Amino acid sequence: MNAIILSALCGVVMMFSGILLKNKSAIKYVAIAALLVLIIGNLFQFYGIYTIDIDSKGLLSFDRTGLFFNTIIFVATLAYFILSGSDIERAGPDVAEYFALIFFVLCGVTILTSFNGLLMFFIGIEILSIPLYILTGSDKKNLKSNEASLKYFLMGSFSTGILLMGITLIYGATGSFGLQSTTIKSAVTGFSSAGILAPVGLVLLFISMCFKVSAAPFHFWAPDVYDGAPSVFTSFMATIVKAAGFFAFIKLFAAKSEDFGPGPAWKLILFVIIVATLFIGNITAVFQQSVKRMLAYSSIAQAGFMLFALYSTNDFTKDGILLYTAAYSFATIGIFSILTKMEDYSLDGFNGLSKSQPVLAFTNTVFFLSLSGIPLTAGFFAKYYMLASAIKGGGSLSLVIIAVLFAAVSVYYYFKVIQAMYFKEGVAATNTPITGNFKVALIVLAAIIVILGIYPTALLGFYYF
Amino acid sequence: MNNLVFLVPLFPLIGFLINGLGRKSLAKQAIGAIGSASILASFVVSIILFLQVKSSGAIIANYFNFIDVASLKIPFAFQIDQLSSLFLLIITGIGFLIHLYSTAYMTDEEAPHYARYFAYLNLFVFSMLLLVMGGNYVIMFIGWEGVGLCSYLLIGFWFKNDAYNYAAKKAFIMNRIGDLGFLLAVFWLINKLGTVTYGEVFANIGKLSHQDITIITALLFVGAMGKSAQLPLYTWLPDAMAGPTPVSALIHAATMVTAGIYMVSRSNLLYTLAPATQGFIAIIGLATALFAATIALKQNDIKKVLAYSTVSQLGYMFLGLGVGAYTGAVFHVMTHAFFKALLFLGAGSVIHAMHHEQDIRKMGGLKKYLPITNITFLLGCLAIAGVPPFSGFFSKDEILAAAYEKNPILYFLGVAGALMTTFYMFRLYAMTFLGKFRGTHEQEHHLHESPSAMTIPLTVLAILAVVGGFIGIPEVFAKDSHWLESFLAPVFAGSKALTEQKVSSHSTELMMMGVVTGLVLVTIAITWNKFSKYEATTTEETGLGKVLENKWYIDELYNAIVVNPLDALAGFFKNVIEKSGIDGIVNGVGTFINYSSRQLRLIQSGQVGAYILMMVLSMLGILLLWINDSTIVHFLHKIF
Repeated sequence: MNAIILSALCGVVMMFSGILLKNKSAIKYVAIAALLVLIIGNLFQFYGIYTIDIDSKGLLSFDRTGLFFNTIIFVATLAYFILSGSDIERAGPDVAEYFALIFFVLCGVTILTSFNGLLMFFIGIEILSIPLYILTGSDKKNLKSNEASLKYFLMGSFSTGILLMGITLIYGATGSFGLQSTTIKSAVTGFSSAGILAPVGLVLLFISMCFKVSAAPFHFWAPDVYDGAPSVFTSFMATIVKAAGFFAFIKLFAAKSEDFGPGPAWKLILFVIIVATLFIGNITAVFQQSVKRMLAYSSIAQAGFMLFALYSTNDFTKDGILLYTAAYSFATIGIFSILTKMEDYSLDGFNGLSKSQPVLAFTNTVFFLSLSGIPLTAGFFAKYYMLASAIKGGGSLSLVIIAVLFAAVSVYYYFKVIQAMYFKEGVAATNTPITGNFKVALIVLAAIIVILGIYPTALLGFYYF
Repeated sequence: MNNLVFLVPLFPLIGFLINGLGRKSLAKQAIGAIGSASILASFVVSIILFLQVKSSGAIIANYFNFIDVASLKIPFAFQIDQLSSLFLLIITGIGFLIHLYSTAYMTDEEAPHYARYFAYLNLFVFSMLLLVMGGNYVIMFIGWEGVGLCSYLLIGFWFKNDAYNYAAKKAFIMNRIGDLGFLLAVFWLINKLGTVTYGEVFANIGKLSHQDITIITALLFVGAMGKSAQLPLYTWLPDAMAGPTPVSALIHAATMVTAGIYMVSRSNLLYTLAPATQGFIAIIGLATALFAATIALKQNDIKKVLAYSTVSQLGYMFLGLGVGAYTGAVFHVMTHAFFKALLFLGAGSVIHAMHHEQDIRKMGGLKKYLPITNITFLLGCLAIAGVPPFSGFFSKDEILAAAYEKNPILYFLGVAGALMTTFYMFRLYAMTFLGKFRGTHEQEHHLHESPSAMTIPLTVLAILAVVGGFIGIPEVFAKDSHWLESFLAPVFAGSKALTEQKVSSHSTELMMMGVVTGLVLVTIAITWNKFSKYEATTTEETGLGKVLENKWYIDELYNAIVVNPLDALAGFFKNVIEKSGIDGIVNGVGTFINYSSRQLRLIQSGQVGAYILMMVLSMLGILLLWINDSTIVHFLHKIF
C-alpha cells in the first residue's frame, strides 16, 4: 500500500513543483528525491513495516514477489532519472508534468503488482496507459510525435475494448471479478469442460495483454510509437512499462495457476505467439538502419523471451522473469540514455564512437552484449533461466531451439552497433557535452550488469532473504 | 617435511615469471643469475627431500582438489618417493649445470632474447618437475604437455629461421600424436577405476580386466613413444637439434626424452601385468636402438650424431623396461643423463669455438686448441661405449644381462647395437679432435677454449660420467653392492613379487662382460686408427651408405604416406567442401534473413486501419486455434 499512495502523492507533488520551481534542474532533483522516498517506503513494506495501511476489502493483495518487483522497477526508474533526467528537461517546456506523468505510471505499476481481481487489474492497466499516450505526444511541435501519440491512443483504446469485453464475459460466466473461481480454473485447463463465456473471455484478456507487451501479431503499434515518441520516453516505455506489463500478464495467468499448469490449448497458442514474436522482432530488426527503430523491434524480440515465463510455470520462471526484467531494463535504459545523446540515430551515427567517447562506447558494448545474452553479463543468465524453465516444465525442446537460433540472429544486429563504434571510421557527434557524472552512472550500470552476470544470485538472494 | 615439497617447482616458476616479465628491463648478468639460482635453489631442496625419502620413505603432499566433478576427484598432489626423488636430483642437478653453461654459451644474444631463453628454460624445468612430482596421471600430464610446449618454444628459439620453425612444429605435432595415446589411457583409467592417483590405481589393479590393462599400458606407451622418440615417432628428435645446444643437452638428451621411461617405471605394476605390452616395448626399444645406431654411423653433423645416439640409447632403456629390468632402465637414464649432457655440452663448446660450424668433416685436430673439452669429451665417449669402469658400462650391462635372461637373441642384437655405438662415437671423436684441422684459416685463427662457465659444467659432468656407475655395481663383483637397486626396491617391489627370478650363473655373466668389453676395445682401436687419418673427400656415398646418410629416407616416407595425403585431403576440404558447401549454407542463411527482413518490414505500413484489421484477423485465428486444438496438436505432432 505504501508504494501506491506514495507514488500518487509524488505525482501530485511534481505537478506543484512545476509552479513553485522555475529552475528545471531543481525539478529533476525533486523527482529523484521523491523516487528515493518511494523506494524506501516500498522497502519498508517489503520488510513488513506498513506505514500506510488501508483496508482494500480484498481488492489488493501484497506479496513478496510483487513488492520485490516494485523495487526493481523503482531502481530502474532511478537509473533512468539519473541517466536521462537532463534529456527529460530538454524534451519540452513542461518538465514537471513529464515527471508527474512518470510517477502516475509508477502508480499504475504498483497496482498491477498487487491487484487481486479483474477490476483492480483494469484500473491498473488504464492508470499505466493513459499517461503514456500523453508522454508519446509530448513533443507537441513534431508531427511524428503527434502521429505516434494518436496511433497509440487509437490502438490502445481498441485493446482496452477487447480487455473490457473479456472481463465482461468472465463476469457474466462467474458472477465475480475474483480470480479464484473454479470456472476459470477449468477454463484454463481446457475449453470443452467449461461454458463458452469464460474461456472466450480469457482468450480476449490474453489477446489484450499480448497487445500491451507488444507480442506478435499484436505488436503493430510498437515500432511506430517507439520510433515517433521522444527517445527519452521511448526508453521509459520500452523498459519499465513493458516489464510491468509482463509482470501483470504473468500474475494474471501464470501466478494464479500455481496449482494448475496451463493446459495443452494454452501451450499451443503460446507456442505460436512466442515463435511469431521472436520471428518478427528479430528478423525485422536485421534490416533497420535507425538504431532507435532497431531497438523498437529488439524490444519485441525480447518480449518473445519473456513470454517463456508464461509458457511454463516452475521455480525457474519466477527467478527468470525477475532477472530478465532487471537485465533487460538496465541494459536498455543505458542504451537509450546514450542514444538520446547522439546527434544522429542511424547506425552510421555511431561510427567511431570508441575514439571520441571511449567510456560511452565501452558501456554501450556491455549493454548490447547483455541484450544478446553473452556470458558474463546479466543477459546470459536471464536467457538461461528462461530456456531452462521451458525445458524443465514439460520439455518443449523445439521451442528452445528456435529461441536459441533467434538469439543468434539478434547477435547480428546488436553487434552491428558495436562494429560501428569500434571498427568503422567516423566522427560520432553528441548533441550535448557528456558530463563526468553521466559517465560514472553508465559505468555503475554496466558494472551491475556484469556483477549480475557473474553472480546472478546476488539479485535473487536479495529477493529470498 | 611436506611443507618443503612445493618449493621445488616454485623456484623455477618464479624464475620464469621474473625473466619472462622483466625481459625488457633486466640486465644480462641479472637474468643469468636469476635463471641459474632458481634451479640451484630447487636442487638444494631436492637434496633435502632425497635424504628425507632415503631415511623415512615416500612423501605425499596433497594441496587441493584440482578437479572435483561428481564422483571424480583429482587432487593436486605431489608424490616424492625413491623414483621421483632420484629424477628430481637429475633434473635440477644437471639442469643447474646447463643453466650455468648457457650463461656463457648464449652470451651473444641481446638481453630480451637472453631473458626469453632463460624464461623458457626455467619454465621447462618447472614442467618437468611437475611431471615427475605429480601424484597422479593428470598432474603428470600437465607436466607432460608443459615440457612439450617448452621444447617447441626452445627448438624454434631462433624463430627468424624458417627451417627451425619447421623443426619446432614437427616436434610439437609428433609429440601431440603420442599425447593423444596418453590422454586416452587416462580416460580409460577414469572410466574403469574412477581415479588416477598412483597409489589408488595400483591398489585397485585387481578390478581391471587383463584386456583393460593391456590397452591402458599400450596407450600409455604410445605417449612414451612420442615423448621419448621411439619408432615410429622418433623423427622429431634429430630435427630438434635446431635449438641452442644447451637445450639439446637438457631437453633432448638428459631430461624430457626420459619422461617416457619415468612414466613406464612409475606404472611398472601395470606393465608387469601386461606381458603382451612388455614384449612389444622390448621389440620397439631394440628396433629403435639398432635403427638409430645405423643412421648415426653415417651422419656428419656433430649434433645429429649425438641426436641419433640419444634415440638409440633411449631404445636401450625401453629394452630394459620391456624385459622387466626397471632398475636397469632408471640406472641407464641417470648415467645417460650424465654422459649425454656432457657430450652435448662438449659439442656445444666445439661449435662455440668453431663459430657455429657443425660439420665434423670440416673439423679435426681440435685436441690442442680445446684441451678441457677434448679430455671431457673423450671420457664421455668411453662412458657411452661402455668401457669399464665408466658409468655406461654398468647400466648397459645390467640391461643386456636382463635381456639375455629373457631371450638371448635380444642380447646379441643389443650387443651389436653397442658396438655400433662405439663405432660412431669414436668416429665422431676422432674426426673432431684428432688428425689435422680441415677448416678455414680464419676459423683456425679464432679457435679458443671456452670460458670457465662452460668448462666447469663439463668437468663436473665428466666426473659424474666416470664414477656415476659405482652406485650400481652388479652382484657378480660384490654381494649387496647394487646400492641403486636396494634404494629403488620399494617402487618396484610389486613388480618384483610378480616375476620369477631367473639368475644366470656368475660365470656366464662374467664371460659375457669380458667378451663385450673386448669387442668394444677392438672397435675403438679400429675406429681410432681409421678416422684420425680422415681426409676430406668429395666422393659421394653409394649403396647402403647413401641410404644411411639419408636416414633410411624415413622423412621422405612419412611425407609420402602421411603428410602429402593429408595435405591433399585438406585442400579438398578447403576448396570444395568449405567454399561451396559450408560457405554456401552460411551465406545462404544470411541472405535469406536479410531478404525476409526487407519483406517483413513492409507489413509495418503505418496505417492504423491495416494494423487493426490484422489484429482482428489474428484474434480470430487464435480463437479458431483454441477451438480446434486437438486437430492442430495432432497435426503438429506429425510435423515435429
